[in-house]
Amino acid sequence: MAQCERASRPLLQCLRTTYIRGLPSVQARGFQSSAPASEAQVEDSQPFHKNPDPSLVSSPRLERRLMRQGVNPVGSRRRRAALQSSSNIPFEQLPYQCFQEARKVLLEDRAEKLNEIESMRQKIARVQTQSAEEAGGEQAQKSRLRAMQLHLERLKINADINDPLVKRKFEDGKGRAGSLRQFTGWRTMLMTMLPARIGDMSKPIYRFLADRKWREYRRKILVQRITQMKVTPDVLPHCDPVVDTKLYFNKRQIQPGDFVEAKTSAEAPKLDIQMFERGEKLVTIAVADPDVPNVEADSFDYKMHFLAVNVPISAVNTKVDLANLAEDSQVVLPWLAPVAQKGSPYHRLSIFIMEQKDSKPLDFAAVKANEADRDNTLLRTLQARYHLKAIGAHLFRSQWDETTLEVMQQIGYSGADVELRRKKVEPLPYKRRNPSSFR
Amino acid sequence: MLQPRLLAPMRALERVITPSIRSSSAAIRPQSIFPRSLTAPLSVPKTTPTIPRTLLPFSQVRFASHASQGTANRHSRDPAGKRLGAKRTGGEYVVPGCIIFRQRGSLWFPGDNCAMGRDHTIYATQAGYVRYYLDPERHPDRRYIGVVFDKDEKLPRPRNAPSRRRLNMTTIPRAEPVEFQSDLVASIDENGTQVGSIEAVKAESGPQLRPGYMYREANWVIGRAAEKAGIVAPSYNRRDRWLAWRKRQARAERAAQMKSLKGKKKSSKKAK
Repeated sequence: MAQCERASRPLLQCLRTTYIRGLPSVQARGFQSSAPASEAQVEDSQPFHKNPDPSLVSSPRLERRLMRQGVNPVGSRRRRAALQSSSNIPFEQLPYQCFQEARKVLLEDRAEKLNEIESMRQKIARVQTQSAEEAGGEQAQKSRLRAMQLHLERLKINADINDPLVKRKFEDGKGRAGSLRQFTGWRTMLMTMLPARIGDMSKPIYRFLADRKWREYRRKILVQRITQMKVTPDVLPHCDPVVDTKLYFNKRQIQPGDFVEAKTSAEAPKLDIQMFERGEKLVTIAVADPDVPNVEADSFDYKMHFLAVNVPISAVNTKVDLANLAEDSQVVLPWLAPVAQKGSPYHRLSIFIMEQKDSKPLDFAAVKANEADRDNTLLRTLQARYHLKAIGAHLFRSQWDETTLEVMQQIGYSGADVELRRKKVEPLPYKRRNPSSFR
Repeated sequence: MLQPRLLAPMRALERVITPSIRSSSAAIRPQSIFPRSLTAPLSVPKTTPTIPRTLLPFSQVRFASHASQGTANRHSRDPAGKRLGAKRTGGEYVVPGCIIFRQRGSLWFPGDNCAMGRDHTIYATQAGYVRYYLDPERHPDRRYIGVVFDKDEKLPRPRNAPSRRRLNMTTIPRAEPVEFQSDLVASIDENGTQVGSIEAVKAESGPQLRPGYMYREANWVIGRAAEKAGIVAPSYNRRDRWLAWRKRQARAERAAQMKSLKGKKKSSKKAK
């Protein structure tokens, strides 16, 4: 507390001088007394330490308690400490002249963009009502319409991208999926995060910002993992991820390529598939293992650990629990716990999110009849057969550990009593090379 | 430094040629009455025919005896060859660990089923046939060495094709992990001396042959010897100031003794 007090002292002094002069009713106070902002917010006479506000809490103990409840404090501790003693003036009314002048410029720009959006919409409507002959051919009309739609989307983003409030909301974690630094609880997260996210991810600007943030770091990591571990040529020839996929086992997030204990992965995982486009998509979710050892053929086999079709996802509907999908209309192959025999090289369990063509549902009964065999179902074949396109990927690995034997017995794995050993390499016979040159 | 040495043979050559010239000039001009010591240096250059070019050295020659002077601490002029280069040609059969190419720096890079050693040596990681190839999709100007499983297989493989791998493993009955054991013992039988582990219960049964060819108890048994003998160290009592004072005195005395010894040594050194 002492540190943030020291840090926020200049700010406090500033607030005191400006606010007392400008707004006589407001009193800026330090940390010694209870904060006026929190008093204003917590009306039901509960003390602050009983019901801490995530945007104002600054003591580590209260922060920890909040995080245990599944609510993360907003922003930095320094900022929250400074906000405690500020008088909650709305952002637009901050009494700084330069700031207000800058806001005017931004507002003008936004109004201009809104006008452009309106005119573009009218233009689109006009082109749509035109007949193909008037617009100069079917193809020309289509391409023109697509270009105009793209321009409209860009305008929508440009209208809001300079808004400081939008930026703040996004950075405070209201507009993105990855706001929780650590995953505290599935249900609590659903309860706390969902309303805010529905409000935000439905807007193009927040989707745009989230996409940009994802591409800056997390997508790069994912692409690196799936290429360096050779998932892309081994399981699928090519994958260009456009949806952010997160994987949770037992409420714990798994980074791409992590080793997962056999006992942990015995239960079907949960996925968080964040789309950054508008609309809804039907996807096929497949979990494939390209590393099943085949001793007779001296090679590796494939195994499909999970396959589900017709899973709806959208920008606001991101949660997919692989254990809770509909048995009669979605799950083709239910979850099979991955186990690695002792001594075998690690297994790469690759998860692919594949978009179905034109978002049309696949015929579940036909798929179920065709793909009943886990061992002979290749993802490449499925992709060609059902015209799927990989839009997201994830990866985890499994190897022999202490819990594997237990899981093997649970699922009735046949190869539990053997382990794999390296074959001895016979050295080449000694051959004297070019003896005449030896002295 | 270079010049006088080079001129020495020239002078020798001159010495060989000039007497004959002089004698011939003397025969031509017997009328010369001036003493030889005065005339010879003046007249000889005029009449001496120029030495033909072919007799003069074109380049500066250094023989081994000269070249070695002053090179004692420099690098040797002609080091031994390091036997670099290809050890296996394209298409040759190799087994894991087989060295394919020795090089300084990475002239060649490891491709499929190959790896690069500490000194950039390319060696095989799988049994198969060697291929030397270029892979412009992977890198525009790197040269690769790879190993393929089939004799007529080609490299590079297409970028989107699944990699060909071999398991190279056999199945054996799974062994339960060995229990934690306390100490190492050695046993002698007809096969020789074998060092192995024994269980914790047996370790207490007396001295056994241990590494270092010693019959002795386990280290942890030695460590508990005092406990076995019933020697108990008195527990520390912080209120016992008398003991504390004695210890402090002893420490101070010892410190003083050490100090005096130190001083003596120093003084004796100075005296010398």
